[in-house]
Amino acid sequence: MSRAQRAEQQNDSDWSLLERVVQKDESALAALYDRYSGLVFAEATRILRDSGAAEEVLQDLFYQVWRTAEKFDPARGSLPGWLLVAARNRSISRLRRRSSRDDDELTENSVVLPCSLETTAAQNQLLGRVKTILSGMPDGQREAIELAYFEGMTHSEIAEHLATPLGTVKTRIRSAVEILKQALA
Amino acid sequence: MDSCPECARKLAEARGRIALLSLAAPEQNPPTVVKQRLLEKVRAEKSSTIAPARVRETRPPARWWNTIWAPAALALAFATVFLWISDRGLDQQLQQIRQTTQTYQEQTQHAQALVNVLAAQDTVTVKLDATPAMPKAWGYVKYNPRMGMMCYTADLPEPPPDKVYQMWAVPVTGNPVSAGVFMPAAAHNGQMPVAKVPTGMDCKWFCVTVEPKGGKSAPTGPKVLVGTL
Repeated sequence: MSRAQRAEQQNDSDWSLLERVVQKDESALAALYDRYSGLVFAEATRILRDSGAAEEVLQDLFYQVWRTAEKFDPARGSLPGWLLVAARNRSISRLRRRSSRDDDELTENSVVLPCSLETTAAQNQLLGRVKTILSGMPDGQREAIELAYFEGMTHSEIAEHLATPLGTVKTRIRSAVEILKQALA
Repeated sequence: MDSCPECARKLAEARGRIALLSLAAPEQNPPTVVKQRLLEKVRAEKSSTIAPARVRETRPPARWWNTIWAPAALALAFATVFLWISDRGLDQQLQQIRQTTQTYQEQTQHAQALVNVLAAQDTVTVKLDATPAMPKAWGYVKYNPRMGMMCYTADLPEPPPDKVYQMWAVPVTGNPVSAGVFMPAAAHNGQMPVAKVPTGMDCKWFCVTVEPKGGKSAPTGPKVLVGTL
């Protein structure tokens, strides 16, 4: 692929690339992979703490995009949102040795991101904002929400893990979510 | 959620905000081999799904009856040739049967005519006497002037080569009328020639002459038998 073609694909919207994936254009899948594989792989590696397992999750996820791209409805959410949620669910299922229903995720889990992640610049900008938001949280609150998200722990498990009352854990998490909502609004 | 679009939208937005927590994970780029494996898998799937589709486009699935066209056509060709040969054989048989039937009809008509002449009460018999040319010969004629029919037999030797015997009916006035040519072998075999002559002809004499093969319209050869009515 020429540099001009690559640059053109970088400017394509997720939706136009997905339309081409539906037409079985593998260069469009490669473009989507280049755009989001870093985010998905980092998330899966963080959850699984195993780069080999994270690679499998990454590959399976994009292969599912290839096979079921026609099911994706842009009106119900964004592709990177779905990728991040699906990667988390699969990684946690794998971590806890649970089975996941891969084929249904595309239609069942609508995810709307508050901003676009289609360009590297936008990703870097948002990544910085999220890290800033989390670093601004008290340690106990940040730890609770990270255990919930990256470890897939329930509130009770977090309370037990942190030796903290359940009510406190719920309050911390609810508060963390509210902070996120305000900061990303 | 289907009944509350607003609720679904808020849930999707909440999921999105939570999903952004993943950006807090340490940045990591996957090895390039993952992309290679993914694209190889995708190409393998494309080749396995598109190839049969091309086959379907260019070549529609064979119907089961297509497999019997060639043998059926061959069998039909064989059957046609067989029937044509059989038809020719049947044509030849039919021709032979027609000829046989015609012969039988002619024999039947001849026999019927002979019976009619012999059975008729007004049929007269005329004895044929030998002439000096063939002193041992003899014969006779059965003649019916009402029917204009006559039949005859004669005991004669074989005629000279290229010669036949010819019977004549000779009226009181006028020229002799031919009653046919014959060979003595026919008489020896019991066959009795039957001839038609003009009805009511005032016939007075009958004679047999020796004539060239095929006969003549008027007597030319020597008389070998003569009879008077």
